[in-house]
Amino acid sequence: MKLRILLADDHEIVRRGLCSLLQKREGWEVCGEASDGREAVEMAKQLKPDVVIVDIGMPYLNGLDTTRQLLQHDPSFKIIVLTITDSDQVIREALDAGARGFVLKSDAARDLVAAVEALQSKRMFFTPRVNDLVLAGFLEKGHAISRTQPPDLPTLTAREREVTQLLAEGKSSKEVAVLLNLSTKTVETHRSNIMRKLSLHSIRDLVVYAIKNNIIQIQMPPQLRTVSETTVV
Amino acid sequence: MAVRILLVDDHPIVRQGLRTLLEGRPGWEVVGEASDGIEALDKVEVLEPDVVVLDVTMPRMNGLEACRQIQQKKKASSLEVLFVTQHDSPQMMREALDAGARGYVVKSNAARDLLEAVEAVSQHRVFTALTRSPHAC
Repeated sequence: MKLRILLADDHEIVRRGLCSLLQKREGWEVCGEASDGREAVEMAKQLKPDVVIVDIGMPYLNGLDTTRQLLQHDPSFKIIVLTITDSDQVIREALDAGARGFVLKSDAARDLVAAVEALQSKRMFFTPRVNDLVLAGFLEKGHAISRTQPPDLPTLTAREREVTQLLAEGKSSKEVAVLLNLSTKTVETHRSNIMRKLSLHSIRDLVVYAIKNNIIQIQMPPQLRTVSETTVV
Repeated sequence: MAVRILLVDDHPIVRQGLRTLLEGRPGWEVVGEASDGIEALDKVEVLEPDVVVLDVTMPRMNGLEACRQIQQKKKASSLEVLFVTQHDSPQMMREALDAGARGYVVKSNAARDLLEAVEAVSQHRVFTALTRSPHAC
């Protein structure tokens, strides 16, 4: 029986590269491709893949919240997070969300096959830096690093985090309502609750919060460092 | 028309995705890959490609600087540079064209725009595409 893999990345060119890499393995098939987190959740529920590979920086629903929603639906999902950064905070959040594999995008050509093999064998796969951090957390604090929570995050519900991402991506309350199949009034209520819980006063504050907490990611171009450009990667 | 292409991006998985797309086109050949601007300059000298598909943000030397140096080196060669980047920004596109690039495609739309862009720049025509508005001339 084939190992079925679902890919979620907003860049088709990356998905093509990942497909090409994974389908070279005999007995593996990419059973579906999603271009954002919401699509990934829906496809995973339908396709029930053996392994889900999710990019962290996706529009509508980022990879961390995608991981949380998938595991809430079915704790047996095996999920590998793909990321452009292995900062401490991203590692902590990925582990806390329940990912059992963590691969840097820059190293995916080298590490991804090994990561899928590890999860297939009911093991975990982490980059050396993640392993170091987990070990340091265990030795210094006497418990696994996955218990460590970033200070800002637990105050928001899953739905509020979804709304936060969509608002931070520049969508209006009406657009968010359509995307989440809610009334505009409900979205406005979520928005007020988010602002109150986080003590924020403007959408600008919300965008800063979303960036700081990896709900959306930004990339600064090399020559235009003064230009603030928000890009979901 | 035969086109020899050099791929430059620091992510091997992106290069692989670009390669699968480009090699589907009869007559087009990916003659080499580089993972940063410095390696790209070396490979341009050795491989003499027709088109360099170049990322902007890379370690050691970014794509803009590599493009400027390619323009200084290329002399009478017919080589053209096409940027494929995550920066969906008019300012960055202007910088790229000022650096001497003939084309600019946003990575999220690469699967849609790349073939048309390579075809255009290989014939020394400009191709630029931000978000949903590809434009060739």
